[in-house]
Amino acid sequence: MSKAKEGFLRVILTMAVALAIGALLIIAIGENPIDAYGALLNGAFNGKFRLGTTLAGFTPLLLTSIAFAIAAKAGAFNVGVEGEVFLGGIVAAYIGINWTFLPKPLLIIACFVGAMVVAALWAFIPAALRAFYNVSEVCTTILMNTVALHITSYLVSGPMSAGTANPQTAPVTVTLYQFMKPSSANVGMFIAIIAVIAVIFMLYKTSWGYKIRTVGGNPNHADYVGISSKKVFIGAMMLSGALGGMAGCIEVLGVHGYFLNNFATGLGSNGMLAALIVKNNMFATPFMAFFLAVLSAGGMGMQQMTGVPKALVDTIAAVFIIIATMETLFTFKKRRDIRVAEKKKKEGQS
Amino acid sequence: MSEYVVEMRDIVKTFGEVQAVKHGEFTLKKGEIHSLIGENGAGKSTMMKLLYGMYPIDSGEIIVKGEKMGVLDPKIAINHGIGMVHQEFMLVNELTVLENIILGFEPKKGFTIDFDQARKEVQRYIDEYDMEVQLDKKISQISVGEAQRVEIIKTLMRGADVIILDEPTAVLTPQEAKRLFEILNNLKEGGKSLVFISHKLNEVMEISDRISVMRQGNYMGTVEKAETSPLDLTKRMIGREVFLDIDKSYGKAGDTILEVKDIWVPSGKETSKIRGMSLSVREGEIVGIAGIDGNGQSELIEAITGLRHVEKGSVIINGKDVTNLSPRKVRAAGLAHIPEDRNRMGLNRSLSIVDNLIAVRLDEPPFTKGKLLNKKDQDSYAEEMVKQFDIRPTDYNLPTSALSGGNAQKVVVAREVSMKKKLLVASQPTRGVDIGAIELIRNTLEKAKKEGAGVLLVSAELEEIISLSDRIIVIHEGKITGEMLASEANENNLGLLMMGGEQKRKESEAAV
Repeated sequence: MSKAKEGFLRVILTMAVALAIGALLIIAIGENPIDAYGALLNGAFNGKFRLGTTLAGFTPLLLTSIAFAIAAKAGAFNVGVEGEVFLGGIVAAYIGINWTFLPKPLLIIACFVGAMVVAALWAFIPAALRAFYNVSEVCTTILMNTVALHITSYLVSGPMSAGTANPQTAPVTVTLYQFMKPSSANVGMFIAIIAVIAVIFMLYKTSWGYKIRTVGGNPNHADYVGISSKKVFIGAMMLSGALGGMAGCIEVLGVHGYFLNNFATGLGSNGMLAALIVKNNMFATPFMAFFLAVLSAGGMGMQQMTGVPKALVDTIAAVFIIIATMETLFTFKKRRDIRVAEKKKKEGQS
Repeated sequence: MSEYVVEMRDIVKTFGEVQAVKHGEFTLKKGEIHSLIGENGAGKSTMMKLLYGMYPIDSGEIIVKGEKMGVLDPKIAINHGIGMVHQEFMLVNELTVLENIILGFEPKKGFTIDFDQARKEVQRYIDEYDMEVQLDKKISQISVGEAQRVEIIKTLMRGADVIILDEPTAVLTPQEAKRLFEILNNLKEGGKSLVFISHKLNEVMEISDRISVMRQGNYMGTVEKAETSPLDLTKRMIGREVFLDIDKSYGKAGDTILEVKDIWVPSGKETSKIRGMSLSVREGEIVGIAGIDGNGQSELIEAITGLRHVEKGSVIINGKDVTNLSPRKVRAAGLAHIPEDRNRMGLNRSLSIVDNLIAVRLDEPPFTKGKLLNKKDQDSYAEEMVKQFDIRPTDYNLPTSALSGGNAQKVVVAREVSMKKKLLVASQPTRGVDIGAIELIRNTLEKAKKEGAGVLLVSAELEEIISLSDRIIVIHEGKITGEMLASEANENNLGLLMMGGEQKRKESEAAV
């Protein structure tokens, strides 16, 4: 079975089981699961606004999930994507507000480049600490998320504040076109999809991607064949950071139009969730990100239409994680092989 | 009750998609030494681990002393008098020998451990079977051979009368192996039944009463030792005759390709620090490094190949000083390297055979064009390698984790040798691989030498060193204790030097 197929099958099966368990919970609180799920789908897809909201929620998740997965391919556990989204957002806001001397198309590019470079440099810190001093990147990235959050909080409350009641910046002078108004779905989604395709292509079709897979698979082997595991590790972490920065940039330019304090809370961890559920399978991760986006967008509709609280969606996501870690659940194939072998043996004897 | 203490019938065991044992049969008589032989991956270790209850069987039956066993686990196995000495010892380094032996079975005196009682019991076994061990030394301070005796005593203390030894001689010097055989014979005379797992036929012929052969997970029959010969056993093991004796060529050794000048290399372990070692390898010769595992072989190889920092001294490859350069630069100077541990270093087990084959030529056209991987040329190269080195299965898109030890090693050898570099460093090239692969790998090394490469060979198998090398260097605790032509070498004089016998030799020379 190809990797893509296997990943897809895994997603479908995991979804089915998680939704079934969710259904049991819905029955337990005395509601009809079919109605509830119907309301959920309705809330996520029915109508331009709802569909647009789902797509707008999908875009950053797609980027953060792939950001986590690509770092994982090099053997890193990058919890710091969220901080990178925040920093990317604030940089994009700064450039988008202040560099008005640039013509608009160039200004958009400058926002993206600035956001990605700063986020990549931010990711360089834990990566280098890990590569050269063996400091766990899990710890440093968790800590640095808080630092990043507070840096941006300070900036939007102080130097970059628009002076409004909410801590936020002045509006940026360029925005990404929103194609499903009144929802905030914007062309950033296509930019994100292209970026993800580029990353997957890089990983499987180029020598750089080969090096990432080698280092992630066996760093000792990488060093032995002459691939510097340290350099590649740092490179992959920086790429991961850049994708996080891109997500921040799209949120600021495409969704809000300004930098809103705390806007990225949960984006990094939900992306991580999507990647972890499918074990960082690059082909399945986007689908998982989409599914999580549907759940969270539809959850609100479900709560309004039926008596099922939105929190159920979080429960389903949690059930997901548990199922995803239960490797043996989907080992039908192996068991079948054993049965075939036994049958053959019996035939041989008779 | 039947004449057997252990009967295993119709055993099947599958791990994931691999059928480790397809049809296993094994019987053990009281008071015999029964060898279980086969190539790597033939299922012999798996059979015994099933008997010891480390994994459950898929189907078949296990009968111990007339009693049919249900679900087995090691605890039940121990209670039925089965003991196992594993390839890797299960000892606590920081505890003493005595503490290790009684661990988990401590005789109590009130709330404290009754060490006197324990010592008395252990001493009884030591005397009975003539196994010297130093009860108050820590495990970290004793030799491998002694640690193995500790493992044997451990099984005896737990009441074992069936003792399984999984490749016990793999880690021993020839002298230590001889000592082990004396003990095994003592145990046999004491009424114990022993299972001896090995793939070394000369040892099997020396120690066994009966011999069972397995091939590719299948039981191939049992023979009395008197009725068989090494040749016959080989045929049973792999289904054809093999020729391990290399037709050694005596070419003209050319220019010096590797020169190691007085290097000092740190190591975590005291015995494996390199303390001033110099050697050279010329084109067209094989230089063998003999030594007991852990006496600096790994450190020496890593220092030469750029994987370990050299404190002092220099390494020169092909006239270029490569001391402390990155592995990439050392390779560029003309090095190919078969590492001692294919799983830790030689392979990326998550990637496919073809991916592993091109690992060292990643930036070389035609395997990449620009930065893009060129799948077409990679595939045709992989196809050629799979054919030339007889890598099975032949589907080069399979992950290397699906390969047996021998085939995985062939991937490493194919990759390194096909580079046709001037210096080939081969560390334990045939460790843990089957006889078919050993034959192929040895011939490949000999061929590389004929084509003019200088080969530095490290091996724990003395027989391999002697049969392949032109010159042999013996090391002990990070120093060279002797050097001789392969034609002068035998297991005895090498074995002495391996144990640090340099002084002795000098004394005897002085006496003469």
